Amino acid sequence: MPGAVVRLAQGCPAGTVTSVMPRPRPLTLPGRAALGEAWAMTATTAQSAPGTSAGSGRAEASASAPVVAFEKVNKSYGSMRAVADLDLTLHQGETVALLGPNGAGKSSTLDLLLGLRTPDSGLVRIFGTTPRQAIEGGRVGAMLQSGGLMEEVTVQELVRLACDLHPLAHPVRQVLEEAGITDIADRKVNKLSGGQEQRVRFALATAGASDLIVLDEPTTGMDVSSRQTFWAAMRAQARQGRTILFATHYLEEADEIADRVIVLHRGRVLADGTSAEIKAMAGARRISFELDEPADEAGLRALPHLTGIEISGRTVRMRSSDADATVHALYGLGVYPRGIEVAGLGLEQAFLTITDAATAEEAGR
Amino acid sequence: MITLIKLEITRALRNKKFMFFTVIYPSALFLVIAGTSDTTSLVPHTHLTMPLYYMVAMASFGSLTAVLMGNSERIAKERESGWVRQLRLTALPGRGYVVAKIASAAVATLPAIVVVFVVAAAVKDVRLDAAWQWLALTGAIWAGSLVFAALGVAIGYLASGDAVRPLTMIIYFGLSILGGLWSPTTSYPQWLQNISDYLPTHAYAALGQAIELGGAPHTKDIALLVGYLVLFAGAAAWLYRKDTRKA
Repeated sequence: MPGAVVRLAQGCPAGTVTSVMPRPRPLTLPGRAALGEAWAMTATTAQSAPGTSAGSGRAEASASAPVVAFEKVNKSYGSMRAVADLDLTLHQGETVALLGPNGAGKSSTLDLLLGLRTPDSGLVRIFGTTPRQAIEGGRVGAMLQSGGLMEEVTVQELVRLACDLHPLAHPVRQVLEEAGITDIADRKVNKLSGGQEQRVRFALATAGASDLIVLDEPTTGMDVSSRQTFWAAMRAQARQGRTILFATHYLEEADEIADRVIVLHRGRVLADGTSAEIKAMAGARRISFELDEPADEAGLRALPHLTGIEISGRTVRMRSSDADATVHALYGLGVYPRGIEVAGLGLEQAFLTITDAATAEEAGR
Repeated sequence: MITLIKLEITRALRNKKFMFFTVIYPSALFLVIAGTSDTTSLVPHTHLTMPLYYMVAMASFGSLTAVLMGNSERIAKERESGWVRQLRLTALPGRGYVVAKIASAAVATLPAIVVVFVVAAAVKDVRLDAAWQWLALTGAIWAGSLVFAALGVAIGYLASGDAVRPLTMIIYFGLSILGGLWSPTTSYPQWLQNISDYLPTHAYAALGQAIELGGAPHTKDIALLVGYLVLFAGAAAWLYRKDTRKA
């Protein structure tokens, strides 16, 4: 689409560009107001573009509907609002992590996406069709967190069943190999360890040439080394141009493999960007030190770029979106901080900061 | 779909406990109850000898076991484990799961019927007047088991977890005993016989008994079974849809 590129080059306002947007796309931050002034700097209000990202290798898809589209989707269970006005668009070739603590609405979102539940209002579309149509066409492969397996059969028999049921099936041997379960193919399904079970579920999700693969907490119950192997299998699927959506509360996992992270909180999208952007959002660095005499609280709290502070006696821990400036100002207070440490925050901390801020804001209303 | 049915059958045949209760148990029970009785005296108020009466009763009981136990407990368990959800993420049509369950139970039913017949003929010298009666008996008992297969599916979608076994057991033993599969209903008090006359198991056994006497099954029994089939299948379909919405 050269026309769109030209328009970009001519400097069209970002809001009007709807056809092509290279990855990583601008960070969208629906919950920005909740998160304080400190990181308004990093957020932009640009909407994610419905075009496809480069490198998917599936040119024909670029003109068609997005892989996944949620439009103003709501779902409540009794008085509990599991999904609230959710808007979400996934594009061809993305590997997307759906991140959030338990109860954030991840599983509900995936259930709605896969047509296991119907929304109270709003529209869920996969490749422009209903979830059921997409599944029947073999365009979606999925594994559920709660997805039980048939018992009393062997791994191979179960995978063969999945292949037979898939309209665009791969050979059984290939599926076993890609999921790394060739060695346990003759084992009975009910005699597997938790990690092995997860890999069998992954095999069921990748039994055919689905364009979209949905994985709900795929590495639950795995140890560190099998998790690494599993991630390699996921990356291999992504390299084949598949769109992958996985829910996780392992933040390391989102950081490792996703090129886009969507943070869910109370059924809403709290943040949507690359994991680097998510980390930048929440105050990138942690500063800690000790003081010789009881701290001058007011002075410390007034330091620039702070996103959080915790003072216990003479020990001070703070978070800053610009650690250099904060430390500089700290010396300006005329105190002598001892054992000063400045460390980057992992995604986990970033994520806690975001959700805490959102919860605090809701409570304050 | 074919693979699912095949796999369900393989599983059923591999499950030794299930096969024991469906295939061996009814024949064993037949030997225990009818084994000591003489082969000529009639069951009171009927024209059947003890071995004839119990052969049909136990063949019916065996198929009842296969389809009721096989379906209800497995469906409830697999609903709970999430296997049913996982299957809904495949291109398998929604009804495919239930159809495969009923088909595999039906396959386990056939040996249960045949083994009872063979044991009865070999040990108690049971003979029928014509060869067609054996075939008709097998066909009638096999076809009649569909009614209870539908009931099993309904229970599987109604109950869950710890509740499914006791519920199945109550219905299973209740229907077996009250319907006269274990002992002739003619020995029951009149009020109980009145109830028994309208139970599906009673009508089910009556199909076979009519054939043993050389006649066609009574219209009333057939109508009763068809009525129960509609009722159970309707309940199963309704519960299935309710469960699907709930996911």
